[in-house]
Amino acid sequence: MAKDADNAAAAGTPAPGAPAPGAGRGAPYLEVRGLGFAYRPGAAVLAGLSFDVGRGRLVNLLGPNGSGKTTLLRILVGLLVPAEGEVRLAGIALADYPRGALARRIAYVPQETASAAAFTVLETVLMGRSPHTGALGFETPADWYAAREALRLTETEAFAERSLEELSGGERQRVVIARAIAQEADLVLLDEPTAFLDIKHQHAIYGLLARLVAERGLTAVCVSHDLNLAAAYADDLVLLAAGRVAARGTPAEVLRPEVLRPVYETPLEVRTDEVTGRPYVLLRRGAV
Amino acid sequence: MIRPRPVTARRYVAALGGWLVAWVLVAAAAVLLGTENIWAWESWESVRTVLGIRLYLVLTASIVGASLALAGLAFQALLRNPLADPYILGVSGGASLGVILSSLCFSILLAPLFGFVGALATVAVVYAVAQRRGRLEPYTLLLSGVIINAFYGAAIMLVVALASPMERGSIAYWMMGSIGTFDPRGTPVVAVVGGLAVAVAVVFAFLAKGFNLVVVGEDTAGALGVRVERLRLVAFVAASLVTGASVALVGPIGFVGLICPHLLRLALGPDHRRLVPASFFFGAIFLVLADLATRLLASVGDQAPPVGVLTAMCGGPFFIYLLRTRWRRAAEVR
Repeated sequence: MAKDADNAAAAGTPAPGAPAPGAGRGAPYLEVRGLGFAYRPGAAVLAGLSFDVGRGRLVNLLGPNGSGKTTLLRILVGLLVPAEGEVRLAGIALADYPRGALARRIAYVPQETASAAAFTVLETVLMGRSPHTGALGFETPADWYAAREALRLTETEAFAERSLEELSGGERQRVVIARAIAQEADLVLLDEPTAFLDIKHQHAIYGLLARLVAERGLTAVCVSHDLNLAAAYADDLVLLAAGRVAARGTPAEVLRPEVLRPVYETPLEVRTDEVTGRPYVLLRRGAV
Repeated sequence: MIRPRPVTARRYVAALGGWLVAWVLVAAAAVLLGTENIWAWESWESVRTVLGIRLYLVLTASIVGASLALAGLAFQALLRNPLADPYILGVSGGASLGVILSSLCFSILLAPLFGFVGALATVAVVYAVAQRRGRLEPYTLLLSGVIINAFYGAAIMLVVALASPMERGSIAYWMMGSIGTFDPRGTPVVAVVGGLAVAVAVVFAFLAKGFNLVVVGEDTAGALGVRVERLRLVAFVAASLVTGASVALVGPIGFVGLICPHLLRLALGPDHRRLVPASFFFGAIFLVLADLATRLLASVGDQAPPVGVLTAMCGGPFFIYLLRTRWRRAAEVR
């Protein structure tokens, strides 16, 4: 199944030529079709949710609290099984992938990053090699090379030997992303990687994602509450509301007042950044 | 500190070899040392008898120590709590009740099976009642352990009160956890329990990679290809199996499952690929030395004190030390 993608990832080479804007459109890499899910009967979290993600795109999932973003992400990783609909990765249903094969294709950066043990940064990043190692988990020089490369890309080499607990939130988040890179998956899903980070580190994380997407041909799906950060970096936005897709498209297509106001029920205005041409959202005090 | 260095097949085999040699040396010393002076050479027969008995005790101590250290390591990983230990959780208590019931009502040969059932039932209760999102909080663990141990204590008292006076005495001594009783009829049981311990160590060696990931986080583990539910089921059953079997063999011995994995973590780091083989051998070495200490103490008093008394006297302060230092961090990191 899609051996070429595995090989390209294993070689660790950037995809030939940085994808031009709009590349991958019309050739969906990840297809989400009519997804339905409920933790308890009668309380649907997702209902008839559909969208596509093109290869080599940085996609940001937006939506109010409780709109089903984390649930959707956990289904996309294969941690939850949808009650309805299906997810296809490179044309093959997620359910048809063996667990290990899926772990070599999809990397996940969850919200919880607190470990119950004091692993070092290098040990943490090496765990990303777990789907590639044998039953006893012995690492080969290739695994160490991949981990070192991931540390270099995320600029976390300096604290490779330090315990994860000693790091700041931004550093720790970069390490978890390094683990996802070491995994050599071509799709990375991130659940609020910039939560609890100051603006400098928010930009550092999104800048890193954008760079990985551009240089390594990665596809990234990221959940964030920050509309402006998403607008500044993402190729595409998917806006969720009550378990459905309320809008999707480029930042300019999604970030429009008439789209955002009913979803967020908040008074806001949308302007265009004259330098980048991308939209940004202004919050206003007072009623909707 | 040996980490972080790659865990390669060569290093793994070298570590196994090193541990094996260390265990053989300690075991040989424990066989040669004791209150009877074998160097007096009264007769070959008497020397052989003494050595035979000591070998039996050393092997029993090794098997039980290895089993309890492995069980403790697995409980700590699965419950994501550094204070988990078969004794503190009440798993040993459940096994004790099963073993006592079996020896009074059925046959002592069924004791390992009843011990296993008691241990597994306790694990199920602890996990169902006390865990939250796959993790047992330190407070909850301590409280549930106190309550479960109190319940089993009461149940055992009830059974003991109904038993005959002779059985009462032997149960009371057994409950202190003692290796110092040689029984030639027990040899096949020791062999079976030993085989179990080795089998569980092998199973855990294959689960070690998954243990590391589960400790980091369940979603992380799942996304990296670990079948978390299956891993948990297999490891809980295996840990209950060796706990039940060791309790059936020698009675409940506390704190081995707490002390051994922790000392090894301090020396080797938190990687379970190193900790599983290390716990197996170090648990054996630890209990052989503890048992040797009790046998040497016998020269002071009338009779060797039960080894469970010694491990509890070391384990109590160690537990408090962990509470004061590591537990605080464990409670903060969430």
